[in-house]
Amino acid sequence: MGLEHATVGSLVLLALMIAPVLYYIHRARRGDQLYVRRIRAVDAIDEAVGRAAELGRPMSYTTSITGVGPLLYACLGILYHIGSKAALYRNKLLSPQSDPQVMAITEDVLRDAYRDQGRLSSFEPRNIQYLSDEQFAFAAGYMGLIQREQVASAFLFGSFAAESLILAEAGQQIGAMQVAGSVNIEQTAFFVCTCDYTLIGEELFAASSYLTNEPVQRGSLYGQDRAKLLIFCMIIMGVAIATYNSWATHSGSRILPTIESLVMG
Amino acid sequence: MNYRSRLLRLFTFLGGIYFFLEFVLPESFSLAWLGAPDTNITFGKFTPQISNGFITVGAMAIGLGLYNLLSIHGAKVAFRRKGWINSVALLVGLAAMMIVTSRDWAGSRQVASDTEQLVMLRNFTQAIAADEESKAPVPPVITRNAALLSALEKTVSEVRERVTSQLSTLAQDGLSPDTPQHRVLATANAELQVALTSVAQLQVALAADPASTSRHVELATALSQAAVAYRQILSTAYEQSLTKKVYNFFFIGIFSSLGTAMFSLLGFYIASAAYRAFRVRSTESALMIIAALIVMLGQIPFGMWIWEGFPELRLWILNTPSAGARRAIEIGAAVAGLVMAFRMWLSIESESFSEPKK
Repeated sequence: MGLEHATVGSLVLLALMIAPVLYYIHRARRGDQLYVRRIRAVDAIDEAVGRAAELGRPMSYTTSITGVGPLLYACLGILYHIGSKAALYRNKLLSPQSDPQVMAITEDVLRDAYRDQGRLSSFEPRNIQYLSDEQFAFAAGYMGLIQREQVASAFLFGSFAAESLILAEAGQQIGAMQVAGSVNIEQTAFFVCTCDYTLIGEELFAASSYLTNEPVQRGSLYGQDRAKLLIFCMIIMGVAIATYNSWATHSGSRILPTIESLVMG
Repeated sequence: MNYRSRLLRLFTFLGGIYFFLEFVLPESFSLAWLGAPDTNITFGKFTPQISNGFITVGAMAIGLGLYNLLSIHGAKVAFRRKGWINSVALLVGLAAMMIVTSRDWAGSRQVASDTEQLVMLRNFTQAIAADEESKAPVPPVITRNAALLSALEKTVSEVRERVTSQLSTLAQDGLSPDTPQHRVLATANAELQVALTSVAQLQVALAADPASTSRHVELATALSQAAVAYRQILSTAYEQSLTKKVYNFFFIGIFSSLGTAMFSLLGFYIASAAYRAFRVRSTESALMIIAALIVMLGQIPFGMWIWEGFPELRLWILNTPSAGARRAIEIGAAVAGLVMAFRMWLSIESESFSEPKK
């Protein structure tokens, strides 16, 4: 079920969801303080980076089979932060890749992170290694890489499929501190069991806002919450309408239009 | 903001505006209300070409991955760095797979192009019949028919010769009559001979009556059947060739088997992860263990033997509380993804990695 073309209702809903985002980005850029609560898993990212620096062992960051898109963009925000810390502490950051396009973008982001810390000479492009675009070949390569390098901290953010447990378990076997985040519900369960900290669903999108404390991201996060509030209100209304309609059908009263019919047309 | 940044933002916006308009605008609309000529505009008709453009750009990135592999592992081997033996294995495997896959691709293309001749003759026959009916301004049917018959004679003899040669090669290689491939070949060959016999008869009929549209239609049908049978024979014969067998050994024998082996690790890893994770350390973990236990017992006959209500309880857990939580996560992630996509389209980027720091 989906919309091939927009209806008036869906356009109105889209506008109502995007408007708060633009409004709060404007407010954040103006200098207004927008409160967002901390998430333990996001704080653990800094903790994991520090741990790797103290142990003198490398870190790894992977987006697995994530392709170019909004999710990758969110993951790159976290990568930039981790890359900045790696540059600052002069710690090795490995980034195994499964998509050549993502690899090129990742290299660019990390180079910017090192440059912004004034450590461009420490940047090693060969730490960003293409393994394979085949799911299990990538998993095998990742396992071998982190076990040979004995990484102290592993970050797994993005879109994962069946290889998620293999990647996370490989880190567990070498005692790495692992922080993971995925929008795939099924894989989140595996991460919860195997990783030290897990970001669930949209927390992955929010993580870069927490880490960078930038007005655009903070305002965007605030606006997203307002959009979710709108959806919550729609759900309540939808339940109430459905309940009333089931009563009205039996009693012969007028039936109200459902939220679905208003939005989908 | 410098001009490069502005140019990037402009291209990003233009790239996204097409898809946004395709979603927002109706499938087909008219601009007559603006005073323009009354023609229907289908906005989405360029989507396949644009999608092909994306695939083309993505295909260029394959070279990046290959270059990265060669540079990293090549340097490891050249400078004898730690683990260089593994790099040798990778490079040898990469080269072998590229050669084998290229040969297989060439072989498959050859099969397709060998069948092409019959398909082209069929298309030509159909065109003659269609043009004759519609009285299109084309060269006279006698001339076209003569060219068709001449090409047919040459192609049919080539096809017969090729099929005879393939079948005798396969017989020499020891293809047993009991194998399914032999049966497929025998059936396809029989169909091909019937089709070619029809073609021969129709050639004679068309030589006598070149303008007969019905004969042309019958000939096109016979050529279609011949092309299908011929392709079946060539494909089946190619499957028995050394090139294909080597490819199958590499792909099915090695690559797919290794992937399956990696996938099977999941079974062991699930057990080890569950052993670590399912400890009663808090209320939440106790709830998780109880729910996991009920779901697992509800799925196996042993659970039903203990209590027959387990399957129903399992379905309730999956369809009610679990589904609610799942949908909540999906809604949150979808909203976040939508907002991120808009920010990317409108280039409302964070300054972290869009502008150089001063």
